[in-house]
Amino acid sequence: MSLATKIGSLTLRNPMILASGVLGTSYSTLKRAYEAGLGAVVTKSIGINPSSGNTNPSIFALNEIRSVISSIGLANPGFQVFREDLEKLLESSVPTIVSIFGESMEEFKEVLNGLTDLPIQAFELNFSCSSSKKDRAQISTDPDLVFEIVKELRTNTTVPLWVKLTPNVSNIVEIASSAVRGGCDALVAVDTLKAMVIDIQTKQPILGNKRGGLSGAALKPVGIRSVYDLYEHFDEEIPIIGVGGIYRGEDIIEYLLAGATAVEIGTSLGVAYPENMVRFFQMKVKKYMEEHKFSSISEITGGAHK
Amino acid sequence: MTKQTLANDKPLMCKIVDKWEECFETFSFKLQLPVKVQGAKPGQFIMLWIPGEDEYPVGIAGLENNILEVGIARMGEGTEAMHRKEVGDFVGIRGFYGKPFTPPEDVNHLLIGGGFGVVPLKMLIETLMKSEKKQDIHVFEGARTKNRLMYLKWLQELHDQGEITFHVCTDDGSFGYQGFPTVALEEFLQKTKTPSVIYAAGPERMMKFIFDLGKKYPKVIDMQMSLAGRYMRCGFGACANCAVDPTGWRICVDGPIFNTEKLEKISDFGVYERLDTGEKKKL
Repeated sequence: MSLATKIGSLTLRNPMILASGVLGTSYSTLKRAYEAGLGAVVTKSIGINPSSGNTNPSIFALNEIRSVISSIGLANPGFQVFREDLEKLLESSVPTIVSIFGESMEEFKEVLNGLTDLPIQAFELNFSCSSSKKDRAQISTDPDLVFEIVKELRTNTTVPLWVKLTPNVSNIVEIASSAVRGGCDALVAVDTLKAMVIDIQTKQPILGNKRGGLSGAALKPVGIRSVYDLYEHFDEEIPIIGVGGIYRGEDIIEYLLAGATAVEIGTSLGVAYPENMVRFFQMKVKKYMEEHKFSSISEITGGAHK
Repeated sequence: MTKQTLANDKPLMCKIVDKWEECFETFSFKLQLPVKVQGAKPGQFIMLWIPGEDEYPVGIAGLENNILEVGIARMGEGTEAMHRKEVGDFVGIRGFYGKPFTPPEDVNHLLIGGGFGVVPLKMLIETLMKSEKKQDIHVFEGARTKNRLMYLKWLQELHDQGEITFHVCTDDGSFGYQGFPTVALEEFLQKTKTPSVIYAAGPERMMKFIFDLGKKYPKVIDMQMSLAGRYMRCGFGACANCAVDPTGWRICVDGPIFNTEKLEKISDFGVYERLDTGEKKKL
């Protein structure tokens, strides 16, 4: 039995990838996450300039629904500073996917060109941070913009391009089709759902930015449906990476059955000790594979469509 | 029903039931928790939300009968916003986060704090005094001037009652001896024959100095220091903005209290902080 999986030309030791935005600020936390047993890590989203992001509260848990609402606002050290962390991380041979964002095509290109010489596994394009101040959701919900940016970035790098898709659209397949036509190498579904929490005592939204994005257990059925729809449309034309609300090994299986070849895990690794969580995930996935007589991850992928 | 601790959840709204000026530019507040909760442990912290203003980590000074005490020194806009709050106003808390101090028995307990760092030490003192075993508690406090010494009256009273030994100093000599608290600490370490544990909270450069000092004395069997002064967003491990190199330990979950063995491994300790952008800056 093998947990290894392939995402295009990339082979990972197992299908569990650290999702962007969790434990991804420095080389040391990313290295720790990988050493906990993950297959690869995605960094925090990196832009052209250092940014402090939004006023706090910018992230808190919602206990009843085992979820987290956040609006970090793309706080990041800028790609030039982050490059030093990346270099340290890559010295340890950690399979690394760099999440990048930009306000415009030019910004995307600048960040990508500034990092593309590094031995990274892929870029993940963040078009859809629903927590951002300015409405960057314009890119993620606009099929033409997605096509243009992916196509242009494709000509700037040979590093695989993954596109992270927002669930905040009426037809996720339409946007995904634009990304595929533009030349991306994998689809990542889904990003956070637009969300808000209001304090009824003081009668105001709690997040400093008022609006935020929901991750955690409540997001899982949304992610599963998105991956299912994408797989139904694309079949094996493009690898799909499932993300949203993975708290247990069973959730990973569910994403694979929906059509994913790998998963990204964020919130649950962040709120606990990643070392313990990854061990539990591995145990559960292996146990399931034994019980259902699967010898590889690819045999599970898309199983719910038969 | 009394809960062991609070759930990791959105801010729990608490009414301010008492407020007093603790010392120069520092106020203490008592917050009424709307749920019955058994306790926080010394060294743990909360994320304090001042509605519409800011949220940041705050050390816990005490928790009794669902009344939480915090001490807030003026350190910027967020803390000023709290200072403007009055009895009857509501603020939110999340927590209790982090690993506490873990005092062993049969040792000298040497507590040393600077500035806001004295807040979590207050709760540690209360806990040590409640212990059934006779504990030797020494508190070393220093500040620029007399009016900046936190919990001065309370500590003096405990000293007079023989509960603790209070070693107090100021930079300008306006109270206690003139100089730094590390002077009295070192004098004590030179004399004592009993195994000792140092607990420190406050500015990291000060703690690093104490750490290097403590290492010179074999009688110091452990040091436990709070790194809770670092920038935090979530408080529960997800954002990892507070994480230290090269270990990747998150202050909020893997700390904020670290012992000697762990502090040795944190090369950032007392040297680098991480800004809200994620950039590192020399302390």
